[in-house]
Amino acid sequence: MIHVRRELIAGLEGPAPDPAAVRASLQSAIKLEHATIPLYLYALYSLDEAKNGEICAIIESVVVEEMLHMTLAANTLNALGGSPVIDGPGFLPTYPGPLPGGVQAELTATLAPFSIDKQLPTFLTIEEPEHPVDYPKLEAGADLTIGQFYAAIAAAIAKLGDGAFVDPPRNQVGPDLMRESVVVIDVATATQAIQTIVDQGEGTSTSPLEVVGNGYAHYYRYMQIKEGHVLEPTGHGPAPQDEYAYDGPAIPFDSTGVYPAPTNPGPYPPGSAQAVANDNFNYAYTSLLGVLHALFNGAATSAQMDTAIGLMMSLKGQAKAMMSGVPNPAVTIGPTFEYQATNPANGS
Amino acid sequence: MSYLNGLRLHFAGKFQANVSTVNNDPGHFDTSAFQASYQTMQGPKMNPPNGWFNPEGDATFRMLGCAITTAWTPDGAVTDDPVLGCSVADSDRTVPAKMVDLDPEQQLVSEIWGLEIRIADSEGNTLMRADFLPTGFIDIWDRGGDSAGGGDNNAGATYQSVLHNVQWDDVSHSPFLTELRQTAQATGRLSIKFNVDAINMHFGSPDFMCGRVVGTIGPYLPGEPLHLVLGRQFVATADPNVAASFFAPAGSINHFPAAVDPVAGLIYLDLGNALLCVEPGSGPADVGDLTLAVYNPFATPPSPAGSLVPLGVIPASGFRGYVSNTGWYAETAGIVVLPLSPAQLQLVQSSPLVLTGNAGVVISEALNGCFVRADTFVYRMSPGDHTDIDVYATQFGAPLAGVALSFTLDSSQLQTNTFTPPYIMASPPVATPADALRFGPTATTDANGKATLSVDAGDPGAARVFPGGESSIDGQVYGIRPAFADAILNAEPINQWNFVSFLLWSGYDAPAKPTWTDVQPILQQYANLYPSMLRFLNLADYDSIKANAELMTLAFSLDVSDPNSMPVTRDLSPAKRKMILAWLQDPLPGAVPVPSRTDGAEPPVPPPGAGPPAAAKGGKAAAAARRLILQSK
Repeated sequence: MIHVRRELIAGLEGPAPDPAAVRASLQSAIKLEHATIPLYLYALYSLDEAKNGEICAIIESVVVEEMLHMTLAANTLNALGGSPVIDGPGFLPTYPGPLPGGVQAELTATLAPFSIDKQLPTFLTIEEPEHPVDYPKLEAGADLTIGQFYAAIAAAIAKLGDGAFVDPPRNQVGPDLMRESVVVIDVATATQAIQTIVDQGEGTSTSPLEVVGNGYAHYYRYMQIKEGHVLEPTGHGPAPQDEYAYDGPAIPFDSTGVYPAPTNPGPYPPGSAQAVANDNFNYAYTSLLGVLHALFNGAATSAQMDTAIGLMMSLKGQAKAMMSGVPNPAVTIGPTFEYQATNPANGS
Repeated sequence: MSYLNGLRLHFAGKFQANVSTVNNDPGHFDTSAFQASYQTMQGPKMNPPNGWFNPEGDATFRMLGCAITTAWTPDGAVTDDPVLGCSVADSDRTVPAKMVDLDPEQQLVSEIWGLEIRIADSEGNTLMRADFLPTGFIDIWDRGGDSAGGGDNNAGATYQSVLHNVQWDDVSHSPFLTELRQTAQATGRLSIKFNVDAINMHFGSPDFMCGRVVGTIGPYLPGEPLHLVLGRQFVATADPNVAASFFAPAGSINHFPAAVDPVAGLIYLDLGNALLCVEPGSGPADVGDLTLAVYNPFATPPSPAGSLVPLGVIPASGFRGYVSNTGWYAETAGIVVLPLSPAQLQLVQSSPLVLTGNAGVVISEALNGCFVRADTFVYRMSPGDHTDIDVYATQFGAPLAGVALSFTLDSSQLQTNTFTPPYIMASPPVATPADALRFGPTATTDANGKATLSVDAGDPGAARVFPGGESSIDGQVYGIRPAFADAILNAEPINQWNFVSFLLWSGYDAPAKPTWTDVQPILQQYANLYPSMLRFLNLADYDSIKANAELMTLAFSLDVSDPNSMPVTRDLSPAKRKMILAWLQDPLPGAVPVPSRTDGAEPPVPPPGAGPPAAAKGGKAAAAARRLILQSK
């Protein structure tokens, strides 16, 4: 389980939350949801899909939902009159480092190839749920779990009331563009959006199942990799822990199916093959952030979404080539996921 | 005037053209003969050839670090304008553009699709963005100074097009860009021309599949062709003594255009793809001071009629020398402007221009000044399609009105091969059946010197089926060469690259309910030829396609001008595309016949002691060496 610093919810507590503070918290949420994506993608693309297909599918399914969570947070922010900021250098976290707003000592997110002993535990830590029944009382000054962070936002939005929502609805990325998205227009839909984020990330207190969607919460998806088996219902009960067990089909890990991509990639020597490929990647990643920024700021069209998907596919192709030693098998390269609006990067 | 305008900017940097090379061998389109090794990197000196030098290429085309080196207005060089800190960049909001061959049997007009061009400041902020109208390269030649036919690395070629859908940001802080914007307002378009050379083919190099690009952007004015300078045309003669990979001009200078501005009293010469380099990617080789002159048709005592009247000199040395100034090429893109006096203007109107340097260095216009060329010169057509192609005739740069043009089927520059290393089999014939491409054999130019080449596509049928009949290269390629109907106007030399290339797709009747049996053979061919697709899915596998049906539908539905359009090669016929899209809506399974291996599918083994094949010099060199015109010699 990870915690975020309490300052992320500054101004949200008390009977009359500051709308600007709620918007700031939602921007923090967008940053936080995004920050796991490079981490997961780096591990995903380090895997040879032919040898570790099941693991790839699990990680990819989580990434897709992290993107949905970004969208849900952006919809909520837009509904409250804010404007998500995606396309600036400050949006991307620095790796290695804490997640945005995260507690420094708790977790250092490092771009690294997939591994059972290092990266998977990191992913599990990030996604580890906190059961509401176990919620400690929110102590003044204490760090927050992710669940508490979202609970504070939801509570503040409820206090703001429906009157705080922009009418007519504004800049919404709906389910027509992204499956399971929620058009946010009032407290009820905002609550639904936030609950989707929490449930998909953590599950509920009584079940690993997501309320929305057709899979397990992220923690349990990753646990399947650790346990080496699909999580399946047992038909037993009634205690929640008896209802499911990791005894479904095997999820094998083939350690020969991991490309020798670097841990903590970069910086690469200017002019090197690594720098050229990495610059191409980062330029495309920065382009994707720009496209998403536009998508979340009024250009919510299917063409814009298609462009984003195209860039995602291009990034996948580039990353897999880089990590698998294409064109030069002697050189494997890890993308650094840095903001880069020129190609090559200034200074390289 | 096009980019040859007093108002223009020059840029210089690198391009990347990460093309796949598995499709360089037409035999690789034979799915029944295809082997897994054809998807792997070639061996040393192409032994074995495998998938040639970049089998994992993904066709991306990028502009890298293209700094704006100089900018010009009619008043001269701009010295203090923010545009000088800017760059010409590609898109920051789409996937990279794609470089695409027309066909494995016409690989010498590779087009750039889906390229967004930007003028951006040093932080990457966009000041102007626009779409590059796709076009193929032309005038490829042995530029790099390797007289032994150095291949792709030694090659240079040029792209000329227009930028459309132009969007300007606030450029009020740049007087230059403000003026460019205002001047281009009449058409809303810009003219762009760039030269590419010195591509690197070493997979271990940071510059792998990158080369040099140097170019020019200027206004595009009403009535101008899109891909052609309506101006003076210097045409080179081939040097019969040089073993050129592409083209070696006898007078050392390659074909180039020029334009006279009679109002300003100037002539613009575009030497950007015309001067030899010392070595690939270097500055120009020293061929002496270049003197522009005009043939004086009149006897002017003591000079007899036909003597040369010098108009100006392009010095090799000195402050502005094209050799001594190491920044000359990057700063000028090879464009030289010389003043012409009223008397000289008068003279050049009706007499051929000639450019000379050291002994033997010479190039001129045709003596009669006549020139004819199609504007757009790469076409893809389906049976039943009709297209009208603008063809321009000029004489000494002026429109040639009311002349008859002739159009002739000319497949001499298309490419086939026999069953010799590194090719895995003989390639199918080109340009047959001849009657599938129907066109008016003559046309007369209008007052603007423009005539229409009217083309109707018939059905070439299964013109390129491989032995065994299990697979084919879809459609057929053809060439049409424009000329003057009156033979006396067709002055030598003729630029061999001056013709129009066509890919005619085969007719296809889609089944009402397509199944995997219909789809698989098409996708299997793509799966074979583009191993980079395996990073996303296995195109030849039913389950893989079905699982990705949504993404496939998206990519196959995009307009071909979209950089993300699939297949990136733009060689799938609309009829088959429609069938695949219909199938993706209802992906019915179907049996797939196990391919029977045809005999002779094993790569031929070179005889002992044989050197590397010509194809080891690169894909373009290989294609150029396979041209029909060379096989008939």
